[in-house]
Amino acid sequence: MTVALVVACVAPWSGRAAAADLEEIRRRGELIWAADQEGGGPHVFPDPADPARLTGFEVELAGLIAKRLGVRPRFQQGPWDRLPLLLGRSADCVMNGMELTAVRQRDYACSRPYFAYALQIVSHREGPLASPEQLLRAGPRGAWRVGVLTGSAAEIEMRSRDPEAVAVSGFDGTLDSLEQVRAGVLDAAVLDDCIVTFYAERFPELRMVGRSFAGGFYTVLTARDTPQLSAAIDAALGTLVADGTLEALYDRWHLAGRQQVLLVRDATEVPPAPVRGLAELLAGTLPLLLRSAAMTVLLAVASFPLAIAIGLVVAVGRQYGPGWLDRLAGCYVELLRGTPLLLQLYAIFFLLPRVGLPLPPVAAAILGLALNYSAYESEIYRAGLKAVPVGQFEAALSLGMSRWQALCHVILPQAVRIVMPPVTSDFIALFKDTSVCSAVTVMELTKRYSVLALGTGAIVELAAVTALLYLAMSWPLALLVRRFERRWESSGTGPGR
Amino acid sequence: MIVVESLCADRCGTRVLADVSLAVAAGEVAVLVGPSGGGKSTLLRCLSGLEAFVSGTVAIAEHRLTPGPQPADRLERIRRDVGMVFQQFHLFPHLTAIGNVALAPRVVRGLPAEEARDRARSLLERVGLARFADAWPATLSGGQQQRVAIARALAMEPRVLLFDEPTSALDPTMAGEVLEVVAELARGGQTMVIVTHDHAFARRAATQVIEIVAGRVARRGSPGELL
Repeated sequence: MTVALVVACVAPWSGRAAAADLEEIRRRGELIWAADQEGGGPHVFPDPADPARLTGFEVELAGLIAKRLGVRPRFQQGPWDRLPLLLGRSADCVMNGMELTAVRQRDYACSRPYFAYALQIVSHREGPLASPEQLLRAGPRGAWRVGVLTGSAAEIEMRSRDPEAVAVSGFDGTLDSLEQVRAGVLDAAVLDDCIVTFYAERFPELRMVGRSFAGGFYTVLTARDTPQLSAAIDAALGTLVADGTLEALYDRWHLAGRQQVLLVRDATEVPPAPVRGLAELLAGTLPLLLRSAAMTVLLAVASFPLAIAIGLVVAVGRQYGPGWLDRLAGCYVELLRGTPLLLQLYAIFFLLPRVGLPLPPVAAAILGLALNYSAYESEIYRAGLKAVPVGQFEAALSLGMSRWQALCHVILPQAVRIVMPPVTSDFIALFKDTSVCSAVTVMELTKRYSVLALGTGAIVELAAVTALLYLAMSWPLALLVRRFERRWESSGTGPGR
Repeated sequence: MIVVESLCADRCGTRVLADVSLAVAAGEVAVLVGPSGGGKSTLLRCLSGLEAFVSGTVAIAEHRLTPGPQPADRLERIRRDVGMVFQQFHLFPHLTAIGNVALAPRVVRGLPAEEARDRARSLLERVGLARFADAWPATLSGGQQQRVAIARALAMEPRVLLFDEPTSALDPTMAGEVLEVVAELARGGQTMVIVTHDHAFARRAATQVIEIVAGRVARRGSPGELL
């Protein structure tokens, strides 16, 4: 997320002037097209027979378009909901199930449609959801839990519904929501119909609920300042439709080529969305951003005390416990420090349900953050405990205190003062790491930013607002701790003694 | 009050105490003198159970210490009756003077906080530091810190008080303040064992002087005989 923010902030200055138009692309001999292979089939995905190779109908289409432009295609990986940011920098065009929307019409050059999609609801065969109409009202256990792909038209459609009826979780990968439906964590997933058809065999426990609905078209995005490239892609698509190549391609992928070609040929124009001023933008988005900032605070404030408590137990166990405990706790620390937080969150959220321990997203996020940071906290505390002179321990013992009493009343209070600065900076780090929790569908600040940026097209402006919100939350904390430190120093009890 | 018989102790694989025997009666002040590295401090630490010994026996304040590691509860019981004052004071830097003195009675004896503070205040008065009750250790002079440390040890009302070179880190004026307090305690009948290089200290307070050289008792007698 941090990277995305930086990219977004730098975008207006480093940006579009560098976009390569058709002549330069011909000169370099490559059309660089961006997509996210995590989005999965049938669009772009690793070939099961040779995972180093990409396959999918869009991979083939990119090849056909590039060929008509007289160049070779080159694939550029990117996160799906931020692929348009790559335009003019590391990619010439984006082709990855990008729905043709009014906002995209306004902000990018959109090609003529190349594919017609519709939304499809999927549920578990044994689940209570049997008809699409049920999703308009709350189910037997309250709101229906529905998974969607982050930033997709399905997400916008589902979030526009009554939150009493539908509780939406956004996932970064297509298969994640299907997995969660299979595990019983979600009641339904809403995906583009071609995805559902493609993965039907892999998920025999799932069934389609009703016919597909709320259709639209996929478009190839290019930057607004490369008109020749945009025109060339349009022309290429026109030829592919007219000469039957596209129909044959879709038939090979079991995508009803005849119907597709007729649908995209006769598609009506989507008018661009009106340009909105900053005030209007903020009025519409700031309340939502603030609400998600509260979730970010909740995640941090709930997980950090847990991390400190676990870290303390681990540190004391290692420092004063028997040798086997030290080794065991050492393994715990290295396991958690040596693996990415994201993977740990995945493990808690996606694997625990498989062994019968489904956790709601917020609980999973808090647990994941607490466990991950407890490893770092324990190392800091261990250093703090070691920094208290051994004479302090002996003095406490020779007053008749037990080891435990000496630890609680003499050693720990001093260690806490010593470790305060690193613990604070850890808290600020954790605070920002809460953004990773969007991976387990928690709607925190960064996730809200992604959704809003996509809905409004104001990627850069909202990134700046979001960054300011993070700063506004972490800075006061740093100031507060600095005041504590000053007070301890002035009383002569600080670590500087 | 203290009987040590044939005590042998090792440190890092070398014998530092060999066959040490001594006896200190109630109300006596025994001063241990001798060259550095002779084993005086080790002997003192064996008496309070801070260090284990290899063979021999120690009886102190009606407790018995045996060779090897001691069970934790036995050590806690012994240390409630045997106080210790260190060369480097080891005051708790996160507590004020009165907080240092009141901590152990509150935590170990379960005294109510108010009562512990009242008693701590009168102990600070006894060592001449009533004015400094709310001072942080870091703001006190070495002599003042050592007197707070003595008050802290006295707060547990120990039957025996052990001093490990209490004035070695102090200049003569401050050492004098501490000596004054120790002499006062001696007049009050407090049983004490004091390791020191300060012969004035020994002459002023000791009833018995024991010289330890190379881990053995070299000489023992009254201060007049030895010093």
